[in-house]
Amino acid sequence: MSRPLLRIAHLYADEMNIYGDRGNILTLQKRAEWRGIPVDVRAVGRGPAPDLSDIDLIFWGGGQDRDQELVFTDAVAHKLDAIREAINGGAVVLAVCGGYQLLGEYYVTAEGKKLPGLALVDLHTVPGRKRNIGNIVIETSDLGLQPTTLVGFENHSGKTYLGPRLRPLGRVIQGAGNSSEDATEGVAAAPPEEPALRRLPTHASVTTAGADPF
Amino acid sequence: MNARTLAALWAGKLTSRLSRGLRRGGGTTLPGDVSRWVDPRILTTLARSLDQGAVVVTGTNGKTTTAALLRHILEAQGRRTVANQAGANLIFGVTAAMVNRATWGGGLDANVGLFEIDEASLPRLVQEIAPGTIVVTNLFRDQLDRYGELETTAAHIRRALTKGPEGVTAVLNADDPMVAALGDGLPRVVYAGLDDQSLLQPELSHGADAKFCPRCGSAFVFDGVYFGHVGHYHCPRGDFARPSPDVRATSVAIEGMERMRLRISDGTQEVGFEVPLSGLYNAYNVVLAVAAARAIGVPIASSAAALRDFTPAFGRMERTVIEGRPAVLLLAKNPTGFNEVLRTAIQFGKASSFLIALNDRIADGRDVSWIWDVNFEQLKDVANHIVVSGDRALDLRVRLKYAEIPADRMEVVGDWKTALKRASEATPDGQTIFVLPTYTAMLELRAVLTRDGALQPYWQGRPVDAKP
Repeated sequence: MSRPLLRIAHLYADEMNIYGDRGNILTLQKRAEWRGIPVDVRAVGRGPAPDLSDIDLIFWGGGQDRDQELVFTDAVAHKLDAIREAINGGAVVLAVCGGYQLLGEYYVTAEGKKLPGLALVDLHTVPGRKRNIGNIVIETSDLGLQPTTLVGFENHSGKTYLGPRLRPLGRVIQGAGNSSEDATEGVAAAPPEEPALRRLPTHASVTTAGADPF
Repeated sequence: MNARTLAALWAGKLTSRLSRGLRRGGGTTLPGDVSRWVDPRILTTLARSLDQGAVVVTGTNGKTTTAALLRHILEAQGRRTVANQAGANLIFGVTAAMVNRATWGGGLDANVGLFEIDEASLPRLVQEIAPGTIVVTNLFRDQLDRYGELETTAAHIRRALTKGPEGVTAVLNADDPMVAALGDGLPRVVYAGLDDQSLLQPELSHGADAKFCPRCGSAFVFDGVYFGHVGHYHCPRGDFARPSPDVRATSVAIEGMERMRLRISDGTQEVGFEVPLSGLYNAYNVVLAVAAARAIGVPIASSAAALRDFTPAFGRMERTVIEGRPAVLLLAKNPTGFNEVLRTAIQFGKASSFLIALNDRIADGRDVSWIWDVNFEQLKDVANHIVVSGDRALDLRVRLKYAEIPADRMEVVGDWKTALKRASEATPDGQTIFVLPTYTAMLELRAVLTRDGALQPYWQGRPVDAKP
C-alpha cells in the first residue's frame, strides 16, 4: 500500500471550482477510501502541465466566467498533450460545466467570441437566449449504472451539441439538458481509438453519486 | 405630496394593516408592491423628507447586522431612523418600510433612512433615493442560480457607485479584494478593515472566490485571511494591493458567544469597543458600521458608547428557548456564511448539539450544491447530535455523511415542530442548541417559535429577552 491506488488530477482546482465541484472530488475520494483504496488528489493549475501519464482520473469542473476565461488559453497551450497522454494511458475524464465544454471543438461566448477548445470530444457549444436553471433528472445510457437515473442541478445558457457518433450520458426526463432541443444530457465519450470507455462503468460506479448525490 | 402619492401611501398602509390582521406576515414587502403600483415614484417622494439623507448597505453577508448596528449607533445620537429591518431587502421592502413609517397624511417621523439592499437592486435604489453613503460589506458566491456570477454582482455595485449621486461616500471593506477594487477612481472612499495579525489564518477556505488580481489575473499573494478570501493580500506583480484602511480594528478579542472587545482606530484616535456579538465576521460588521457612522458625522467614541447594549438582528445570533433549552439562531445561507457561523459556534460557543435546516425555495436558491463548499468537516469531532431538517434534508444528510460524521449522531426529521423537540431532547442540561437554518427555513422555524411564545414576530423587530 505504499503507492496510491487511485490517482486523481483536479484540473484548474483554483480557477474552476464552482458549486459542487469540490463535492465531486470529495465523493470520489471518500468512496475510494471507504473501500480501502488510498487516493492521491493533485491540483493542476495554470502554466506548463506536470506529467499526467500515471493519472487514473482527471476531474475538470466549472468556473465563473471571469475565472474560466483565464484558463481557456492556458488549457489549449499547456494541457492538451498531457491530457491526451493520460487518456492514452487509460485515464478517465470526468468533466462538468465549463470543463465539459472545453473538451469540445469550440465554445462561442455570449459576446459572440469563438474560442477553440481542446477538440478531444466531438461537441461544440454556442450561446443560448435563455438560461436553463433548475433541477434535472436523466435516464442514463446503457452504461451499467445502478440506479439508472441521475439527478442534479443545471445552470447554463450555453447550448451544447454532440457529434453524430457520440452517445449522451443520458436522456433528459426533466430539465433542459445539453441544448434543450434533443433531450440529451452530457456525453459518455471516448475518442474512437481509445480504451477509456471500457473503463468508464467501473469508475462511474465510484463517480455517479459524486456527480449528483441524491 | 400630490393626490396620486397620497393614494399610493394609503393603499400601501391599508395593505399592511390587512396583511398583519390576516396574519399573512409582517407587511414587510407587499405594501411596497401595492404603493409602487399606484405611484412608481412614491419612494423618491418619501425619501425627500429624510433631511439627513439615507445610508444603504449591500454585499453578500452582513447586510442586516451592519445596518442594525448602524441604526443602533444613530438612534443613540438621537437621530430618528427608518429602516427595512426585517431583511426585506428588495426595492419593495424599502418602499414598504417607508410607507409603514409615514403618517396617513404623508409626513415622515424620521430624518435618516437606513436600508439594506440586495446587490442587484442597488442601482435602482440609488437612483430612486440618492443615498449619501453606500456601504459594501463583502462579495462571496451566493445563490448562483439566482444572482448569476459574482462578477455580475460586482458590476451592479460598480454601476451604482460610479453613476450614483454626486458627493456619495463609499464605505468599503478593504480586506475583500473584490470590494476594495470597487473604490478605483471614486472621489470619496472610506476603507475599513481588520489589522489584528494574531487572527490571520494561513489558508484560503473553499468558499474563497476573489483569488486573482482584477488588473492582471495573477494569483494574489495572501499574507493571511480572516475568513474566505477576506484578509491581507497583494498582487505579486504589484498591480493591486489591499488599501490601507481609514478605520481599522487593531485588535479583536472574542469572548464566547456573548461579546467581543475591539480596539478601533480612525487615524486620529483609538477607542475600545465592547459589543454583544460573537464571530470574526461580526467584527467586520462592527468596523464597517463604525466607519459609516463616522462618515456621517458620528465620532467613533460615540459609536463605542452606543454599541455596548446592541441587540442582534432577527435570526442573526438571536437567542431563544426551545422546549426549555437555551438556543441560538444563526442564519447560514451560503458557503462562507455557513463556514463562519459553524466556526463561531464551535470555537466560541463550544457547540455540540445542532439543528441544521436546508431549504431550496427561491429565497434560499434552488440549487443546493453549495453545501459541498461548506466545511462541515469541522463538525466531525465536536457534534454529539445533529437534527437534519428542511426541504432538502436528505441532500444535507448525504453531505454530512461525506464529512464523516457518524450516522448515530444524526437524525433526519421532517417537520419543524418535531425537529425542535428532538433537538431539545438530545441536548444535555446546561448546553445550548445551535440552530443553523437557510433563510426560508429560519422564517418557518421562527414562526413555530413565535407561536410558542419563545420569540416575537419578526416585524416587531426585537427578540424577547430569552437569555439563559
